[in-house]
Amino acid sequence: MQDVISQVKEALDGALSPSVAIDWKCDFKGVKTGWCKLPESDQLLAAASAISTMGGRLSTVTAYLAEKYRKQGRREIAYHFDLDGTTLTLTIELPLEKARVASLTPLFRNADWNEREFMELYDIDVIGHPDPRRLFIDETIEPAVFDGLIPYSTLINGASSKTLWEAVMAQNSKEQGK
Amino acid sequence: MSSYTIPVGPLHVALEEPMYFRVEAQGEMVVGLDITAGHVHRGIEALAMTRNFYQNITLTERLCSLCSNSHPSTYCMALENLASIRIPERAEYLRVIADEIKRVASNLFNCAILGHIIGFDSLFKHVMETREIMQDVKETIYGNRMDLAANCIGGVKYDLDEERSKYLWQQMERMKKHLDEIYALYCKNSFVRLRTEGVGVLSKEDALRFAVVGPVARGSGIDYDVRQKSPYAAYDRLDFEVQTENGGDVLCRAKVRLREAQQAVRLIQQCVTDMPAGPTCIDTPPEIPAGEAIAKSEAPRGELIYYLRTDGSDIPERLKWRVPSYMNWDALKSMLVGDKISDIALIVNSIDPCISCTER
Amino acid sequence: MFSFLKILVRNLIQGPSTDPFPFGETFTPEGLRGRVRFDASACVGCRMCEHVCAGGAIRFEQSESELRFTLWHNSCTFCGLCQHYCKTKAIVLTEDWHLSHRQEEKYAMVEQGTVPLAPCLGCGISMIPVADELMRVAYRETNQDIDRLRRLCPDCRRKLGIKGVQRCKM
Repeated sequence: MQDVISQVKEALDGALSPSVAIDWKCDFKGVKTGWCKLPESDQLLAAASAISTMGGRLSTVTAYLAEKYRKQGRREIAYHFDLDGTTLTLTIELPLEKARVASLTPLFRNADWNEREFMELYDIDVIGHPDPRRLFIDETIEPAVFDGLIPYSTLINGASSKTLWEAVMAQNSKEQGK
Repeated sequence: MSSYTIPVGPLHVALEEPMYFRVEAQGEMVVGLDITAGHVHRGIEALAMTRNFYQNITLTERLCSLCSNSHPSTYCMALENLASIRIPERAEYLRVIADEIKRVASNLFNCAILGHIIGFDSLFKHVMETREIMQDVKETIYGNRMDLAANCIGGVKYDLDEERSKYLWQQMERMKKHLDEIYALYCKNSFVRLRTEGVGVLSKEDALRFAVVGPVARGSGIDYDVRQKSPYAAYDRLDFEVQTENGGDVLCRAKVRLREAQQAVRLIQQCVTDMPAGPTCIDTPPEIPAGEAIAKSEAPRGELIYYLRTDGSDIPERLKWRVPSYMNWDALKSMLVGDKISDIALIVNSIDPCISCTER
Repeated sequence: MFSFLKILVRNLIQGPSTDPFPFGETFTPEGLRGRVRFDASACVGCRMCEHVCAGGAIRFEQSESELRFTLWHNSCTFCGLCQHYCKTKAIVLTEDWHLSHRQEEKYAMVEQGTVPLAPCLGCGISMIPVADELMRVAYRETNQDIDRLRRLCPDCRRKLGIKGVQRCKM
């Protein structure tokens, strides 16, 4: 039986030209994870299609924007696929402004929610999404909450506040004084 | 026959958490479904990016109550994968014990609610009473009935001395008898079968199309269990079988959950017997380099995946997780359409929905 | 159906499974994670507990003469990470779960302690003397020389260490 590493290589080589490098890692239990950065973001659909043909399943999608990327004017999305226990991550790079990416919903039905979620968290447009409504965040809240300079946790009052501690300390130093 | 739209939720008597379903019905039958989520979106992923690696152990444990242990253990696995930390062998077994104890309690909770929804409240109470044994086990071994706080980076922060091992073994012996009895009830009792057999069917094709995981997938004949496909902790050395059913209905999903609870009890006993002596945690503070890692585990509801990205500081650059319920929601469209309005709550419960997990 | 009737009868004979609390005692296992206790005499001031606390329930305030510890129970999740990372077990979770209180008492739900600073025997800089608990972890038993180290700041300890090495060479 052909092992998963050569299967993935064959599938991606068939779909993309020139061929892309895949970095494989193996943990102490022999579980493999593959990491592949696609040189062009429009190669995503072809690569995902090859994985779908192999019987892969879309596990999840992670969009992210770190401070250093913001400075460089770029952002990334990582697509995580499951190949019968092996995880393959395809990463694409997008511009910070006017980021656009093709929808994977024609290939993977469950891309629907994943794409709706990253559309509301980050300023990314998905081309060809069948139902690009908000998923979790209400329409009245400004879009791209994770892109904002005010952290979302501060916006929703999820971070523990200074005011709270002032109240705790005020009461307890008062009692000490008595 | 005239068709009409009815709202189900966001607050519903039979479901503990808020989710809004807009159901299109024709007579008694559901013909369409639209789901509106977001009532308990708390932005925990954003919060995780402002907390250090240690704080996130506790934060991730508070995402969900029923699968609370799966989150910190998988998150710690992601950190350990990234930093190539090998946890002590004893810690691997202790992680399995914590996960399986939670699995029994979680699966029993879901099957009990099934009893409640079909109006069989004495069954509900009996299953919940049995689950109480597991709650006492959690409280005795970990010091809390829901949040075990068992994990730390590089191992676990609890141990089982001889007395506690013996106690755990005895409680598992008690559970065995009860679980066998409960399983037989769900398989044979005519009230249970009448309301659950052939209800909310998800075909294997649809299960694959919606990419569902866990007991929902296994109830539709998909032989996939992370514990076997991508082994972690001590699962590569433990003896267990993946439980599947082919019917794809509410009863099949319940049967898979109950058999997995039975198997969890056996796994816990195997761990107590096989566990080697030794340390339970690495003894130096972990150093986490810049990089990215994936960790997966089989939570009570199915595949849980964590993606971690670090930049060399002690705060994650990105921490993302996808819970098993995430895909299971969409699959409700396949399960509900064609079924009766009166079965909506029963079918929704059969995916063992976790909304606080889904929305984060 | 008959099999369930059997279970019903059995459960009936067994009687209620709930505890009679608050009129009687309830189940409190050893090791239950409840109210936090802080022992200032064992604290070495490493502040790891503050660092790992997810809820931000722990706060240290340092002045010229003391290091003040405050934990607010209403932000505490009782996860026990502070206890896990505290080498000297200056911070422990007790089995006391009686934490209910009236709204107006909420800010009083604290655990506090003060670690006095003392001058270094060498240079006089203000420092936390090393706790006995840490000395026991590090040396098992102590003698007069080791005990003197407790009251030296890290810089002075290092200087003393180098001198010791030089003596050996001679």
